[in-house]
Amino acid sequence: MEIPYTVKPRPDTGLYNAKLGIWLFLASEVMLFGALFSSYVLLRVGAEPGTWSMGLMDIYVGAGNTMVLIASSMFVVLAWAQLKQGNLAGYKKWKWATIACAVLFLMVKWSYEWPSKFAHYDVWLNDAKVLHEKFEKGYHETASHIEPGGAAHDNTDAHDGDVEKYIEGIYTTRFFKESSVTSEDEFKKAWENGTLALSGHINSYEEAQIDFSITRWKADFGVSRADATKVLAKFSEDKADKLLQDGGELYEKTDYDTAKLAEYELGQAGFTVALSVAGYETIKKHPWMWGTKRVNEDIGGKPRVKSLVFGLDETQHHQEITLDVGDIKRLSAYEPKHSTFFGIYYTITGLHALHVFGGILIMLYNMLPVGLALWHKDREQYTNRIETFGLFWHFVDLVWIFLFPILYIL
Amino acid sequence: MAYEGQPVPFVGPLIEALLGNSVAPGGVMSAELYNVFGAMHGTIMVFMGIVPAAFAAFGNYVVPLQIGAVDMAFPRVNMASFWSFFLGCVIMTVSFFIPGGAAQAGWTSYSPLASVIPTDGQTYWLIGMIMLITSSLLGAVNFIVTIINLRAPGMTWLRLPFFVWAQFVTAFLLLLAFPPLEAAGIMQLMDRVIETSFFLPTGLVVGGQDVDVSGGGSPLLWQHLFWFLAHPEVYVLVLPGMGIVAEIIANNTRKPIWGYKYLVGSVVVLGFLAFIVWAHHMYMTGMGTVISAFFQTTTLIISIPSIIILTCLFISLWGGSIRFNTPMLFALAFLPMFGIGGLTGLPLGFNFSDVALHDSYYVIAHFHYVVAPGTIFAIFAGVYYWFPKMTGRIMNEFLGRVHFWGSLIFMNLIFMPMFAQGMAGMSRRMSDGGATYSLANPDNADITVGALGDTIMGLNVSISAAAWAMLIAQLPFIFNLFWSVKHGEKVKSDNPWQATTLEWETPTPPPHGNFTKEIKVYRDPYEYSVPGAKEDFTPQAQPAK
Repeated sequence: MEIPYTVKPRPDTGLYNAKLGIWLFLASEVMLFGALFSSYVLLRVGAEPGTWSMGLMDIYVGAGNTMVLIASSMFVVLAWAQLKQGNLAGYKKWKWATIACAVLFLMVKWSYEWPSKFAHYDVWLNDAKVLHEKFEKGYHETASHIEPGGAAHDNTDAHDGDVEKYIEGIYTTRFFKESSVTSEDEFKKAWENGTLALSGHINSYEEAQIDFSITRWKADFGVSRADATKVLAKFSEDKADKLLQDGGELYEKTDYDTAKLAEYELGQAGFTVALSVAGYETIKKHPWMWGTKRVNEDIGGKPRVKSLVFGLDETQHHQEITLDVGDIKRLSAYEPKHSTFFGIYYTITGLHALHVFGGILIMLYNMLPVGLALWHKDREQYTNRIETFGLFWHFVDLVWIFLFPILYIL
Repeated sequence: MAYEGQPVPFVGPLIEALLGNSVAPGGVMSAELYNVFGAMHGTIMVFMGIVPAAFAAFGNYVVPLQIGAVDMAFPRVNMASFWSFFLGCVIMTVSFFIPGGAAQAGWTSYSPLASVIPTDGQTYWLIGMIMLITSSLLGAVNFIVTIINLRAPGMTWLRLPFFVWAQFVTAFLLLLAFPPLEAAGIMQLMDRVIETSFFLPTGLVVGGQDVDVSGGGSPLLWQHLFWFLAHPEVYVLVLPGMGIVAEIIANNTRKPIWGYKYLVGSVVVLGFLAFIVWAHHMYMTGMGTVISAFFQTTTLIISIPSIIILTCLFISLWGGSIRFNTPMLFALAFLPMFGIGGLTGLPLGFNFSDVALHDSYYVIAHFHYVVAPGTIFAIFAGVYYWFPKMTGRIMNEFLGRVHFWGSLIFMNLIFMPMFAQGMAGMSRRMSDGGATYSLANPDNADITVGALGDTIMGLNVSISAAAWAMLIAQLPFIFNLFWSVKHGEKVKSDNPWQATTLEWETPTPPPHGNFTKEIKVYRDPYEYSVPGAKEDFTPQAQPAK
């Protein structure tokens, strides 16, 4: 039994099966990305004024990646053309070039673009008065150095340390692109209600040191005394028996992870434990993807993180301010949950990256002996296979060409 | 079936044993379990029942045979489609047994509820759906390529049996309507797992607590993406059924289908229109009168091709010498039952009457008439009709009739009263079966208008009884299906129904590669009772003199 038209095109339709199949697959892909682009439009149009960020993307990096993909699209055609002429060596050369472009594209995305966003934060505060103090402290010096008309932002007419005007410039650029009656009204409201965010990096923070003590062991918990002692011995070899009997301190000023692991494992063995914050130590680090829950988690009545040293954007020398965690209403890195903008940004670019990644795997398969076996068996079918892959690859490229302007430029 | 506070009859202890006594203490269904059953019934029936049975199973078996192809175009894609479906089914089924149980937010999975519901079942549902969607997409590509590229010589577009046309359009619906739901599923999954706000509005409060998310999302966005799939999905459910019915009616009236070209035209138009009617499910969302008016108009337009199809099938009966065998009985019952389902949809298509009927039992009755005595009867008809091709034996006729009359009567006894309940104002998705709004409820003593009378509430009893009877009526079918494989009456030829289409040109059952002879098509699909012909059927593969 032979399925017809797997290699040669059917005369009346002019297509071999796989080519028709890939076009249909691409039609469904159009609907998939179309739905996401439609969602982007609906979310953006429906966003309340002052919530949809613009201009946060590095256009030059994005444009560079666009060029890389377009080049790869060209290489994939050249590779196929070489095959058509029966030149396997030429094909391999261009195919490797395609793969190299695809890998470069993903590296830029996964090792530069995304990670740099994960370490970049917006912080919203509970109280408008505190916010104004922080702004004053953080931006006063920068705002004083900006002459009217000579600012980094065209629409900033800040002078003489008028911090409010300077912040309005940043706000207007980010959410409205240019100044208008709406932008002025919205800024006034946001300024007075204190709903503006502080943007920047966490340079260091004070994290809890935890005192960990065992209060008692429940004999009726369902774990035998011997097993419970064994579990406890993992954490304290010499004092296990005594701790089980009388309770007492297990750790002094330990770190969060150690304490939480012990709390979980001992809890499973029937121990009641008490965690309390003994003090805070300063850690110099740029943490990734912290959320509100991460910093204000309650440990025996005190927060896990006491304060953050925050290096502000759009200041000279990344002016640092200290934020007390009690003042923070919400904290989010530039990750999907930051806002609907970042949500849709990561969804579309992520799904696109997944397509690029899948494409790389298919290309590698076709280059390995297992894939090349088809070339030696049936050259035409192998060439067809590369052609249908090329159609897919052009589509992936095309998605990016739509995606780049709507996410990076608009 | 079970009343609030009472154990489920017969199977209560079994439910408790399987799902744990937190959700069904003493066999009494909790409100959460009711929601689980409601959500999963819809999901299972639509995505794991009718789509795989009517589209995938019949399509895979009959379509290549009817177009004279050796196989589907991409056997490996077919296999990938099956395993993806299988995995989706496993995930859906497993979700019943995890802590908290399966999805509870309805088969429509509306956000914000579905985004914030804490049980893992909702997440399983989304992952399962993504697998099922992937399966449908792969299947759809395969069907379309097969029909376009693997038709036998002479099998021109207007010689395709109507069933193939119906499958062709269905495949396009799946191919183009499912991806938006896949996108929506990914977004809802992100809402649930990494706390994005695609479908969560600003200032959302759950259980008196502010939800710690950015907000700014749109619950309406989910509904648009969902119904963009789910309306075409309705046609996915019913078109294969129409195709099966058309085959059987042509065969058993012994005359050509009346208006074959109208049928084909209608089904294609139906396919196009199916993409622009979705928001008639959303009149009550406050999306605005202009949009509602647009979708009301398209909805009424789409009823035209549906009515043409039904009318063609009805007229086909006229003047035929009808053979009332079991498949024909089911096919004949399909016509009025689908008719009831379709006509009762008109008040839902109109904005003004939908306001009163929306989310009531009327809606339940309406769509069940379309898919239960509609599509499911068509599937039964198909099973009885093609069983001889698959096994070489005919299913028992007497048991078939028992099955038919039992199903027909009890199906109507289940769903007909629901129209009355809905018009009286009984809401769907109520774990107490409407008792909150009952006149018998002491809290409602001072309500004079709108409370549910005892007559309306009492219909629950007869509906429950009919549902159990419906189950019993399926036993003859189940027995018949398995018994006939070994013991049914043997067919005397490869073409026991004396049919014209190509699937009867193969040996019974068809071997690997389907056909043992060269297939060439010479004529239209339904050449029955051709004047001057020797027999009352002229197969498509019979050469012209």
